[in-house]
Amino acid sequence: MRLESTLIPKKIRESAKYCHECGICTASCPMAELLFTQYNPRSLLQAIFIDPEKMLVEDSLWLCAWCYKCFNRCPQGLKPPEIFQLLKTKAVKRGLFKGFKEAVKKIRNSIPLPVICLYTCFHPERAEMDSKLFAEALEELNTRRKLKKRKKTAIHKEKVAVIGSGPAGLTAAFDLAEMGYPVTMFEALNEAGGMLRKGMPEYRLPRKALRDEIRYLKTLGVKIKTKTRVGKDVSFNDLWRNEFKALFIAVGAHKSRELGIEGEGLEGVVDALDFLWKVNMKREVNLGYKVGVVGGGNVAIDAARIALHQGAKEVMILYRRSREEMPANPWEIIEAEKEGVSIEFLVVPKKIMGQKGRITGVECFKTQLGEPDETGRRRPIPVPGSEFFLEFDTIIVAIGEIAETTFLPAEVETYKGKILVDPINMKTSMKGVFAGGDAVTGPATVIEAILAGKKAAFSIDQYLTETKNREDTAW
Amino acid sequence: MVDRESSKEEPRIGVYICHCGLNIAGTVDVEEVTRFASTLPNVIISKDNRYTCSDQGQQLIKNDIKENNLNRIVVASCSPRLHEPTFRKACEEAGLNKYLFEMANIREHCSWVHLNDKIEATQKAKDLVKAAVAKVALLEPAIEAEVPITRKTLVIGGGIAGIQAALDLADTGYEVYLVEREASIGGRMAQIDKTFPTMDCSICILAPKMSDVGHHPNITLLTNSEVKEVRGYIGNFKVKVLKKPRYVTDDCSACNECSEVCPVNIPNEFDVGLATRRAIYTPFAQAVPSTYVVDKEVCLNKEGIMACDKCIIACERQAINFDMEPETLELEVGTIIVATGADVYDPSALLNYGYTRYLNVITSLEFERLINAGGPSGGSLIRPSDMKIPESVAFIQCVGSRSEKGNPYCSNVCCMNTIKDSLLIKEHWPRVQIYVFYVDMRTFGKGFEDLYRRAKEKGVIFIRGLPAEVVEERKTRNLWLTGENTLQNKLYKVNVDMVILSVGIQPCQDSEAIQRFFTLSRTNDGFFMEAHPKLRPVDAPTGGVFLAGCAESPKDIKDSVTQASAAAARAGILMAQGKVTVEAITPKPIPENCRVCGLCAQVCPYNAIIVDKENKLVEVIEAACAGCGTCGAECQFGALHMRHFTDDQIMTQIDALTEDDASKKIIAFCCNWCAYAGADFAGVSRIQYPPNVRIIRTMCSGRISSKFIEHALSRGAGAVLVAGCHPGDCHYIGANYQTKKRVERLWKKMERLGVNKSRLQLLWASAAEGERIASKINEMQVTLKGLTTKEVEKAREAFSDN
Ligand SMILES: Cc1cc2nc3c(=O)[nH]c(=O)nc-3n(C[C@H](O)[C@H](O)[C@H](O)COP(=O)(O)OP(=O)(O)OC[C@H]3O[C@@H](n4cnc5c(N)ncnc54)[C@H](O)[C@@H]3O)c2cc1C
Ligand code: SF4
Ligand code: SF4
Ligand code: SF4
Ligand code: SF4
Repeated sequence: MRLESTLIPKKIRESAKYCHECGICTASCPMAELLFTQYNPRSLLQAIFIDPEKMLVEDSLWLCAWCYKCFNRCPQGLKPPEIFQLLKTKAVKRGLFKGFKEAVKKIRNSIPLPVICLYTCFHPERAEMDSKLFAEALEELNTRRKLKKRKKTAIHKEKVAVIGSGPAGLTAAFDLAEMGYPVTMFEALNEAGGMLRKGMPEYRLPRKALRDEIRYLKTLGVKIKTKTRVGKDVSFNDLWRNEFKALFIAVGAHKSRELGIEGEGLEGVVDALDFLWKVNMKREVNLGYKVGVVGGGNVAIDAARIALHQGAKEVMILYRRSREEMPANPWEIIEAEKEGVSIEFLVVPKKIMGQKGRITGVECFKTQLGEPDETGRRRPIPVPGSEFFLEFDTIIVAIGEIAETTFLPAEVETYKGKILVDPINMKTSMKGVFAGGDAVTGPATVIEAILAGKKAAFSIDQYLTETKNREDTAW
Repeated sequence: MVDRESSKEEPRIGVYICHCGLNIAGTVDVEEVTRFASTLPNVIISKDNRYTCSDQGQQLIKNDIKENNLNRIVVASCSPRLHEPTFRKACEEAGLNKYLFEMANIREHCSWVHLNDKIEATQKAKDLVKAAVAKVALLEPAIEAEVPITRKTLVIGGGIAGIQAALDLADTGYEVYLVEREASIGGRMAQIDKTFPTMDCSICILAPKMSDVGHHPNITLLTNSEVKEVRGYIGNFKVKVLKKPRYVTDDCSACNECSEVCPVNIPNEFDVGLATRRAIYTPFAQAVPSTYVVDKEVCLNKEGIMACDKCIIACERQAINFDMEPETLELEVGTIIVATGADVYDPSALLNYGYTRYLNVITSLEFERLINAGGPSGGSLIRPSDMKIPESVAFIQCVGSRSEKGNPYCSNVCCMNTIKDSLLIKEHWPRVQIYVFYVDMRTFGKGFEDLYRRAKEKGVIFIRGLPAEVVEERKTRNLWLTGENTLQNKLYKVNVDMVILSVGIQPCQDSEAIQRFFTLSRTNDGFFMEAHPKLRPVDAPTGGVFLAGCAESPKDIKDSVTQASAAAARAGILMAQGKVTVEAITPKPIPENCRVCGLCAQVCPYNAIIVDKENKLVEVIEAACAGCGTCGAECQFGALHMRHFTDDQIMTQIDALTEDDASKKIIAFCCNWCAYAGADFAGVSRIQYPPNVRIIRTMCSGRISSKFIEHALSRGAGAVLVAGCHPGDCHYIGANYQTKKRVERLWKKMERLGVNKSRLQLLWASAAEGERIASKINEMQVTLKGLTTKEVEKAREAFSDN
């Protein structure tokens, strides 16, 4: 019957029949949590396998944010976002846009930073969505601001500080402002937006969309202090003791790990985030002809693609494990390869070679995969005697980022560059201090950061209300 | 010997084409095949039949043999691996030598794998019948040799299955060797607290059996021992067992004085690391043998260094002896029972469940020890972080089971085990809140559903939907479980004091070694494959070897015991007969042709050929020969007559299959045990593949001589596939290495002659890998499609001289 519809390729259809409906995907899905019962990848998948034709007009198809959290945990190894993608493409081809339009309404009503999300999370363009409809969707999302455009009068007196202006910080600021808290946001760089500003390539998120979103935030009464690095320009304790009753730390993961091998100081060895930042600032970067990118995460993929866009002729990613273990978003790996980025698996740099202080290439080991390490992925082991040389004009290092946490007092516990929180309420080990986003999870996705911001805002409100009540009764 | 002349009389062949209900007739035009068969040379009778294997079907053949003086029979039906013995017997009953019978496999290799292509399937069935008729005309009668059976059994593995099998056989009167790797027998069952569904105390029902084994006059118990080598064949196995020293003699009275003074303290494996033991110890109180044992890995006395003598001094009976050496025993047995059990899944790879990261997340096996009165906590339910009785616990089901990330199969016991555990908790601590998170509760057995009801009655909460994540609350060390209640479409967040991961069962780590020793097959899941899943469920495909317990598949104690008794009975039947016949498929040297080059002896995996250069003689030792045919394939002078798989017989099959449309076909040579069985499995699983392949069966891929392959190409065959067992899994020790060498040599030759070498493919596929065979055949279509007439002609010429 319908099950055998040709909408879904046989291989995927077959594998998906083994979904036992365990619900792990839905419970892992940030969108399911943000939209409560309006989005459920598990039941959506089931409905698709029962009758894909009928689901072509379904709005849920367009609500998946491509974070792949479901895939990482699905016991059957299914990739819900890619299955949804198949149907979306088909819907667009057939001119069925009802689902998309409905989805945009839901996004408008429930997701903070909806425009940013449309660009960075929902990716209707991957389904070859018509540009006119895309523009209409943007228009629709902007009406939200028009609808709500009025300054909130602060109904609470407790001030809240948000450190970091990435999606987690922005979201928390939004929600707290809407609840009526006076919010001040601190940002070290000269403009707000966090990784959206610093690392995200322009082709992925037009800067205008970001600025619009931030401007709207200001109209809600949120104060934004840019060029203010907490720990340098103002101390954590100052914030804590003086003005603010609650703090939300959303500083992201911006500290790049180092390779720790010989030759890292040579000219031509660059840090991936610095590289992306420079490109985004429209500063000039000279990469030369052949570029190597070390790493396997989303940053590595983006850096490689941008390197191509910047004029490098050959870009090769060097990853120490195999394709299966690659932490980058699977869809984006495919896109990068389509653009011409090549990926060399099971290699690890041994030494960066140079002449006259400038890089000439990298000596690499081949690796073998051993037992799983503490991340659950199989540990790469360099094979002695397998060394070989690769010529490069530039090496971009993207082997992972961690949070910069030196500014925090010792009471805020951290572990290996991540701030430890209670994932249910985002509380850190220090009373009144909350944290969320990449600073807690390590490099992840916008939608997860938004969810963290939302949870934090809710929890901060609860905390402040409780504290106030206690104080009231104490008097 | 058989009168050669009798085989030279004019063949009078009867052909029977089976409908097998609609199994064959639904796809193959049986009437058409029957008509076609009647046109083939020497065919006297050609009939179709609804069920040839039925009594009437067999009777028909018998009558025809007598009435029409038939001297050769072909049945075209299912796989010879299934019914060849049936029809051979019918022939014998009608007075026809059973070696004058041949089968064409038009079900597993044809109708079932080409369900949607009636025309091609019918064409293929005709071809297969034609080849069988051609071969049968050349078959020769033979008489089978008999070999005596040693009336002793080796049981490997001393879990409940091994114990039961050993006791049954010993009670019947056979001598049994029971080999156990650990220091005591008992296996997993000894670790378990209570058993479902009756809630019996596990060790209380197991311990008497263990002690019976220890005292039985017919059982030789070899603990701390491992099988190292197996030679021989059904009825006559020679097994080497390595018995590691205990460093404590039988004088030990298990008084524990030694343990008390031992300075070494390490985690105890039996208590899954939850308690400690000394370097000299007994694994658990009821261990059999009760003799203590020294763990030399951790003992302070290393090789040749005596750093500590505390235990020696403490032992009043002077039972401790550090001079004991490992011993290698050579056992001669007639039958073998494999009962090596299973291991549990290690959940540390599932990061989202936090096993090993969070103290209060434990496995179900650890829980068994925790709640056991003989266990580390004295049977008190405590959680590891603070030794307090938890107020709430959660069980997570299917951890490592029914999953791409762990094992794809259902582990069979974990659902019931969890229900049992939840009831145990409720029995002693009724106030503990219990959640069970599951995807399906499988309570299929006798008394199982009752237990499930009881758990519900006691207030255990069952929630459908597995947690996506377990996170620890840092202060309390309690755990948050987040997931979706998939029946309610709601997300849940549940806080509990302790989480128990209901881990699955997986093949024991030794399975691979055991598989090699006995050339067994394993399913994709890694469990041992039985000879027939329905009708011979405890026989291994290797004669004289039987399977019992979790080694064969995950199962509970009752099923393990049942299977063990069945295996014992099967082994007993063999031994009671006292002898077995060996198939008459061994080679006969033809002295006229032999140049005494000795190549045959070099490749024989069994050293069954003696070359006497002086007298220019080659002799085959029949009792040692397994009939793989590797020698025959190696001999360049046609001096070895491989009975029932002769050069002429195989050549005539090739001729028949390449008579028309050769260039569109794949001629496949498959070994009986793996590749042919794998193709059968593809049939049983209805895996579909293109119908242009024609399979010729040999016992071993080692039999496939280069000249067969060259002959196929010279006849214009589009492609040739050589398929055998995976290297190391060969049923004739390592005969398939010769196959590999031969194919590699041919590839070089093809290259030299300018013949596209992708037309010859080599495939290793086990009996469980039907999918693999199908995908190879699919893959080869590309080569066939690209093949030009010119290329075919070129190969035809290049190889035609041979
Ligand atoms: C946590 C848990 C709870 C369970 N609860 C129940 C229950 O309540 N009720 C129930 O009916 N079933 C239960 N089961 C299932 C039950 O444990 C098994 O059915 C039973 O133990 C299988 O017996 P076996 O002999 O096949 O294997 P095992 O008992 O595992 O024994 C195999 C033995 O072979 C030995 N061995 C392995 N390899 C070699 C080798 N190469 N040479 C020599 N020795 C070797 C091993 O050391 C071991 O002693 C449970 C299982 C688990 C994991
Ligand atoms: S996690 Fe996988 S198996 Fe479970 S419901 Fe989702 S898709 Fe199905
Ligand atoms: S990819 Fe992310 S948003 Fe999409 S269904 Fe999976 S978990 Fe939800
Ligand atoms: S027995 Fe139950 S828990 Fe175990 S694998 Fe099967 S269904 Fe899952
Ligand atoms: S090679 Fe095979 S057939 Fe030949 S003698 Fe040896 S075991 Fe027998």
